[in-house]
Formats: sequence, structure tokens, C-alpha cells
Amino acid sequence: MIAMAALQGFDSLMSGDTVVAQNIAFGILAVVMIVAALRMVTTGNVVHAALYLVIVLAGVAGIFILLGAEFVGVTQVLVYIGAIVVLFLFGIMLTRGALGEDEEADTEKRRMAVLVGVLVLVVTGGAVLDSFGDAAVNRAAPSLTAEIGDTIFSQYIVPFEAVSVLLLAALIGAIVVARKD
Amino acid sequence: MLLNQFLLLAAALFAIGVYGVLARRNGVLVLMSIELILNSVNINLVAFSAVSATVGGEIFALFIIAVAAAEVGVGLAMVLLLYRNRRSIDLTEIDQLRG
Amino acid sequence: MFAQAETVATPEVLWWALVPLLVLAGAAVLLLTVASLVRRLPEWLPAAWTIVAGLAVLVSVVPLWNEVQDDGARSFLAGAVGIDGSTLFVTALLAVAVVATALLSRAYLTREDLPGVELYVLLLLSAAGGVVMASANDLIVLFLGLELLSIAVYVMAALHLRRIQSQEAALKYFVLGAFASAFLLYGIALVYGATGATGLARIAGYLSTTILLEDGMLMAGFGLLLVGLGFKVAAVPFHAWAPDVYQGAPTPVVAWMAAGVKAAGFAALLRVFVLTFGSWSGEWQPAVWGLAILTVLGGSVVAVVQTDVKRMLAYSSIAHAGFLLVGVQAASDRGTAAVLTYLGVYTLLACGSFAVVTVVGGAGDDRHGIDAYRGLGARRPWLAGAFAVLLLGQAGVPFTAGFVAKFGVIAAATEGHSYALAGIAMVSAAVAAFVYLRILVALYMEDRHLEDDDEAGAVEVDPAPWGPRIVITVSVALVLVLGVVPGPLVDLAKDAVPVLVGG
Repeated sequence: MIAMAALQGFDSLMSGDTVVAQNIAFGILAVVMIVAALRMVTTGNVVHAALYLVIVLAGVAGIFILLGAEFVGVTQVLVYIGAIVVLFLFGIMLTRGALGEDEEADTEKRRMAVLVGVLVLVVTGGAVLDSFGDAAVNRAAPSLTAEIGDTIFSQYIVPFEAVSVLLLAALIGAIVVARKD
Repeated sequence: MLLNQFLLLAAALFAIGVYGVLARRNGVLVLMSIELILNSVNINLVAFSAVSATVGGEIFALFIIAVAAAEVGVGLAMVLLLYRNRRSIDLTEIDQLRG
Repeated sequence: MFAQAETVATPEVLWWALVPLLVLAGAAVLLLTVASLVRRLPEWLPAAWTIVAGLAVLVSVVPLWNEVQDDGARSFLAGAVGIDGSTLFVTALLAVAVVATALLSRAYLTREDLPGVELYVLLLLSAAGGVVMASANDLIVLFLGLELLSIAVYVMAALHLRRIQSQEAALKYFVLGAFASAFLLYGIALVYGATGATGLARIAGYLSTTILLEDGMLMAGFGLLLVGLGFKVAAVPFHAWAPDVYQGAPTPVVAWMAAGVKAAGFAALLRVFVLTFGSWSGEWQPAVWGLAILTVLGGSVVAVVQTDVKRMLAYSSIAHAGFLLVGVQAASDRGTAAVLTYLGVYTLLACGSFAVVTVVGGAGDDRHGIDAYRGLGARRPWLAGAFAVLLLGQAGVPFTAGFVAKFGVIAAATEGHSYALAGIAMVSAAVAAFVYLRILVALYMEDRHLEDDDEAGAVEVDPAPWGPRIVITVSVALVLVLGVVPGPLVDLAKDAVPVLVGG
């Protein structure tokens, strides 16, 4: 019942006004994410870079929610911002002595990197522009977490098991590599 | 909202991530840039999933988040190991291997 | 209510078809559990356990093979995985590589005085990842198998914890590998967007029935997938990691990288490109064509100027990847069979060659300069003789298995009218032969020169422990036998051509 009400509420929200609101939300998120991502790959301070990464990751979570993928959005916040970024911060602190403010790439290398980056942007951006034109995202309702659960445990059971073995391998690997003799 | 909005945003993040991997010298920063690329992939997948109104892409994105966590764990362990032994995590200083 | 009332329909499981995978993963978990519960594990146990697991997989493949040959390929578990001839063929190769690596590792770990259980656990898990790749019927499964395989190998490369080269190699491999995985993922995402599916059968169905007006995204997806997989199999220009990693990583691990990882990578290339994108072969063939030419030429030419034997073998393994790409480029059943034959032969050659390098490397795993091999023919005639046979095999000399392999891919290329590619492959085979000749000359010709110099200059090579000895003997014997009687392997590879079954 509650789900139905939520669906109806969502339906009524799909009017012209909300589309505008969604577009504005997207615009703000996109600008913030791109600026933060650019700062992340250019800043000299590693801790700042990690904080910029948090902004990008939070923006991605916002994008997921805009797209109606609420469960993925929440997972993004929990796992990425809650766990992975903390891992990065630990890594930064444990290697503190090695990190000066002078994180500078050679100009030669940077020029090459800019070139490759622009090339990648043109190729992938151009490819998608071609293919979809003005196809719209018009999901009628956010995807249900129950449906995701059902699908994982029926159709995607093999990848699910594979991920569990993969996490085991990563666990063993991280312990083996990081322990002191 | 147009699908292309999301795909172009993902392409921009992908390109920035590629730039970061190539231009950065600090091992931790390179790992962060790789995370940027993985996030751009996830935006793509979730957007395609929303267009087709199925959950396949969303589930793929969940798996990628799990794999990213595993990768970061192993990667940071390696960075720490190298730091313990040579007090530097500058990837361009990796010079023991030469032909 | 939120929860659906009806129960989830669980997909059909063909347990018998999962046996190789379950044996590998189960053996790894069991070994880990036992090792953490029992304080003092006998030193030989982990290696023996791994070898038994590898042999069990090898044995289990036989009835599965018969089943598949009789009843045809199958796909199960909601079409996520499949079982066909190529799956089993590659599984068997991986099992052989696991056994060989375990035999080498036991001797290596004892010599280097390293703790050892984790290496075997990771080896088994990595092999499980390879089997997942070879049986994947879905791009998600393929990616996860690749990640399982790769993460385990990254760590294995770092396992010589006192050798800084080993750690540097591991970090380099990890960073470039993760970068490549990200490219691969982006490619998968684009293909998913263009076709609306991740299942290989559904993608193939879509591509063969649909005419896309705007195929830019699909093409970008193909390209990124090729970049990602090209990294994993070390194709030029994505090969930069290979020589450094081969040089720095522990030698038995290098044997696994050369034999196991390459086999799994090419299994994935065949499944994705030849099988799934087969109806669009006109679009991706030129890219693979270019990659193949760069790789055969690049690998062979750069190998000539190396002075470190491990680096030399790394570049020669790049050249081998180029020959395998020549077979992939043919995009035909004949090409696929040729690639599988080549993989079979190369598994033997790589395991045998790196077994010799393990022995000659000596304590510290440092003596890999070509100087260490000078005059080996006089001091250790059997070892040198075995290495000579393996090198001749790698060069593709007639009456060794290497000739059969190279002949197969070049014949497939000419059949597909890629005459230029076949010609360039032959030229670079000749260039590569020069590399092997250099090592052969060092082995046999430069003997006297050294004795004149100084007796202390002669590097003493420790007697080979039984593990490497078995690997070297078996691989040399098989290389010679298959060189004279190639029929069985070639026939097996012909029957192993993969088929895609819809889920």
C-alpha cells in the first residue's frame, strides 16, 4: 500500500515543473562534480584531493537518486564515502612523510596527459552523442530494492558468488602484503 | 532529462580520471583517479538501466562498487609496503627494473 | 506490502559442469582454513594439496569433455555461465599451469626461505578466476572472473617480500592493471548501452539481427574492450608493464602469468570478439590486425636488444601474444582452433622455460643476466639441453610443438586472406629466432672464453630440485612429442571451438 502511494506520488511529480527542477538539480550536481574532479587531479595537497573526491562521490550518489536508483545511491554513500574514502585517508596518513606540497608532474608528462584526456573525451563523448540524440530518461518510478534483491539472487547469482570469492582473495592479498614480517 | 546529459557527464569524469592516472606521480592519487573512472562507468550503467527500466545495470554498478573496494584495499596495501621499504610512494621513482 | 509474496524462481544449476570451479575454489578455502587452524603445517603440504587440486581438475575435465562432445554445449544458471569445448580446453590448460607453478613454487619458496601458504591459496583462487572467465556467458561474469584472476596475481607478484623489485613490479602491475580494468568496464558499459544486454548470447543475437544507424557507441565500446583485454594479454602498445613485471616478480609467479593469465585472457578475447561480436567482425578485425602486427614486430624486435633473460622471455611472450592475435584476427573456426592449439603449446613452453630460469636464477632470484647462462652447456648438459629444446620450440623450429602452433595461426590468417599479416608474422618469427639463438650461443659457444677468464667468474648453478626437474622433463618431452605427432592436440583444439548457447 505504502509502495503504491509512493508510486502515485512519484507519478504526480513527473509534471513539467519537476522536470525543470530535475534539470536544475542535474546542472548543479554536474558543475560541482566536474569542478571538484578537476581540482582533485590538479591540487598539490593530497588531503584536499581526498576531500574533493568525497564531493565527486556524493555528486555521483545524487545522480543515482535522480535516475531513480535509490539503492545504488545509498550503497554509493555507505561503501564509497563511508569505507573507501576512509581507506584513502588512512593510506594518506600512514604515508604522510612522503607527501610534500610539491606534487607536481613534469610538464612534458602533463601535456601528454592533457592530450590523452581530451582525446578520450572526444571519442567517448562523440560516440554517445551520435547514438542517442535526444532520447529521454523517463523512468516512471524509482526501482524497487526488493526487485534488485530478487534479481541478484536469481539471475545474477553467479556474479554474486564470484564477488564473494573476489573479496576473499582481496582480503588475503591485502593482509599478506601489508603485514610486517 | 536527456540520457545524453548523463552520458556526457560520465565521459567528462572518465577523461578527467584518465588525465589523473597519467599525470599524477603519487600512488594514492593515481588510485583516486582510477576511482573516478569507475564512478563514470557506474553513471553510464545506471543511466542505461533507467532508460531500459530494468535493474541489470544497477546490479552491475553494485558489483563494480564491491570490486572497487577490493581493489583499493589491495592497492593501498601495496603502496604501504613500498613506502615502508623506500620511504616514497612516487611512482616515477620506481627504477629498480631496467632493461 | 514491500516484499513480493511469490518465491524467487531459482535458476537451474548443472552441478556436474561446475566441478572444476568448485574444486579450485574449495581447495583454496580449505587450504586457508587448515593453515590457519593447524599451527605447524608440514612444509610440503600446501604444494602437494595444490598439485592434487590441479590434477583433480584435469581428471574432472575428461568426463565433462565427453558429455559436451555428446550432448553439445550448455548454458545454465540463468545463462550466466556456459560450458563448451573451449571452456574445458582452457580449464585443462589452467590446471596444467597450476600444477607446474605449484611444483616450481615449492622449490622456490624453500630456497628463498619465504612463508608459503598464501601463494598457493592465491594461485588456486586466481585459477578459479581464469575458469570463470573461460566459462563466462555474460560480460559481468567475465569481468569479475578477470578481476579475481588479476587481484590474486597482483599480490602473488609482490610475494617476495624482501626483494624491492618484486614490490615495485607488483605496484606497477597493479596500477596499470586497474587502469586497464577501468577501460574494459567503460567498454562493457557502452556495449550494454548500445545493445541493452550484458549476456553474450543476447548481445550476439541483437548484433546479428539489428542494423544500427548510429554505431559510434558500439564502436567505442569495442575499442575500449580491446584496450582492456589487450593490456591483460600484453599486446603492443599496451605491453609496457610486462617486461618490468616479469623481471621483478618471483619466477614461478611469472610462469603462471605467462601461461595461465595469457590463456585466460585469450579465452576471453575469443569469447567476446570472435564469438559474440562475430557478426560485426568487419568492424573490429582491422583494429586487431593492427594490434597483431605491432605486437609480433614489437615483441620480437625489442627482445633482441635485451641483456636480461627474464626480460628477453617477457618480450618473446609479447611476440607470442602477437601470434595468438593473428589467430584471433582470422575470426573463423579455424583461427579459433589455431589459437587454442597455440595456447596449449605455449603453456608447455612457458612453464618449461621459466622452470629453467627458476633454477638458474639461484638464491635471491637475481642471476638472470645472459652471463649466468654462458657455458651452461658444458657444466650442466641436461639443463642446457632442455632449455635449448624449449627455446627452439619458442622459435617455432620444425619438429617441435612450436612449429605446429605457429603454422596453425599463419595458415588461419592466409585462409582468411590476411596475406600481409601472415607475411609479417613470418618475418618477425625469423627476427625472434635470433633472440633464441643468442641464448643458445651463450649456452654452448661461449664456454672456453669464460674458463680462460677466471674460474670465479663462472656462475655456479645449484642442482635442480625435483619440482622444477619434473616440470622441465615433462614439458620438454611433450614439446618434442607434439612436434612429431601434433595430431591429438590439434584435433582436441578443433573439437574445442566455442559455441554460444542462449540462456
